[in-house]
Amino acid sequence: VKKRLVKLVVNFLFYFRTDEAEPIGALLLEHCRITKEEENVFSISFVEEPERKYCFECDSEEQCQEWIEALKRASYEFMRRSLIFYRNEIQKMTGKDPLEQYGISEEARFQLGTRKQ
Amino acid sequence: MKLNERSVAHYATCDSPADHAGFLRKRVERHHHHAHHHNATSYQRRWFVLKGNLLFYFEERESREPVGLVVLEGCTVELCEAAEEFAFAIRFDDAGARAYVLVADGQAAMEAWVKALSRASFDYMRLVVRELEKQLEEASKSLAACHKSPRRSSSSGRKRHLSNPALLPLQEKPTILENGYSTWGSGGGVLGGAACPDRDGGHAKPPPLPPRRRSAASSAAGSPVPGLPPAMPESPVSPETACFSKLHSWYGQEIAVLRREWQERQKRGHP
Repeated sequence: VKKRLVKLVVNFLFYFRTDEAEPIGALLLEHCRITKEEENVFSISFVEEPERKYCFECDSEEQCQEWIEALKRASYEFMRRSLIFYRNEIQKMTGKDPLEQYGISEEARFQLGTRKQ
Repeated sequence: MKLNERSVAHYATCDSPADHAGFLRKRVERHHHHAHHHNATSYQRRWFVLKGNLLFYFEERESREPVGLVVLEGCTVELCEAAEEFAFAIRFDDAGARAYVLVADGQAAMEAWVKALSRASFDYMRLVVRELEKQLEEASKSLAACHKSPRRSSSSGRKRHLSNPALLPLQEKPTILENGYSTWGSGGGVLGGAACPDRDGGHAKPPPLPPRRRSAASSAAGSPVPGLPPAMPESPVSPETACFSKLHSWYGQEIAVLRREWQERQKRGHP
């Protein structure tokens, strides 16, 4: 167990030795699962290798929950789904596509039902 | 610097749809101390795939792993004054980070790439999501108070579908178990707790496009966006984005090593 400074920047989790300014590593947070493990501990695992867990022990249960919530929302894919959700809801309510004003309404990445699994 | 490469490569090659893809020629960046090399710039044709804020490039379209990755945060995308036609560059606020000069096959391809890359950052996506979140809240309130006259009359011809009076409460969101297990939260975190900037009386402005140096790209790319403020000043170098230049250097070094090895093999092959 090593103490690290951990920094969430957009969809990357950087980790540093506590006395250094440059990160020793990073985790891309896409297609990952954040799981609460035992007390104060959460883990990050990835779709293609689910048994490989990156475990983090926090100072408190509260801190642990904060990190879990933040990391679950950290992926670009999560934001994309949020955007599609809001767009759809606004469209249902107002009859208007809110993305038109940004000129991005036709982009494939924001279409409902284009994402396969 | 370590990276969860296997996961990154998996994300790059999995069948989640790419936001943009195509062949581009990438300028080879030479280090200054290789002074004995001739000065002609050379380009390598690579298959580029944009997913979210990540631009991957592969040696071939069928390659199973990317040879490089560019994280599109803290950068600007602009047309390039290179000798090549249809060239554009990705430049970073972090002065130490290398730039990427890319060449498209034609005008349309170049414009499509510049447009896609300019809007690829996480920050841009986050701005749009927050804006839509506000709009949804506003639409919910308007519908709830449907007996009152509209509080704003921004766009003309806006219809209201009052045939669906059952409003979805903002707290109740569907659980989506696709693409990596992420599920909706219960109203907290980024979605519910996003800080709301001040708004002027009832008329929401669209968020500005990410800061960009003034270039022809802003007129070439996409339809005009109403209500945009004039070109924003460059965002200050943020300490966070310095982390990404580390990622770029790391991958760039891998290529440099491969090239040297290849060149040495070529030399040995020649009598």
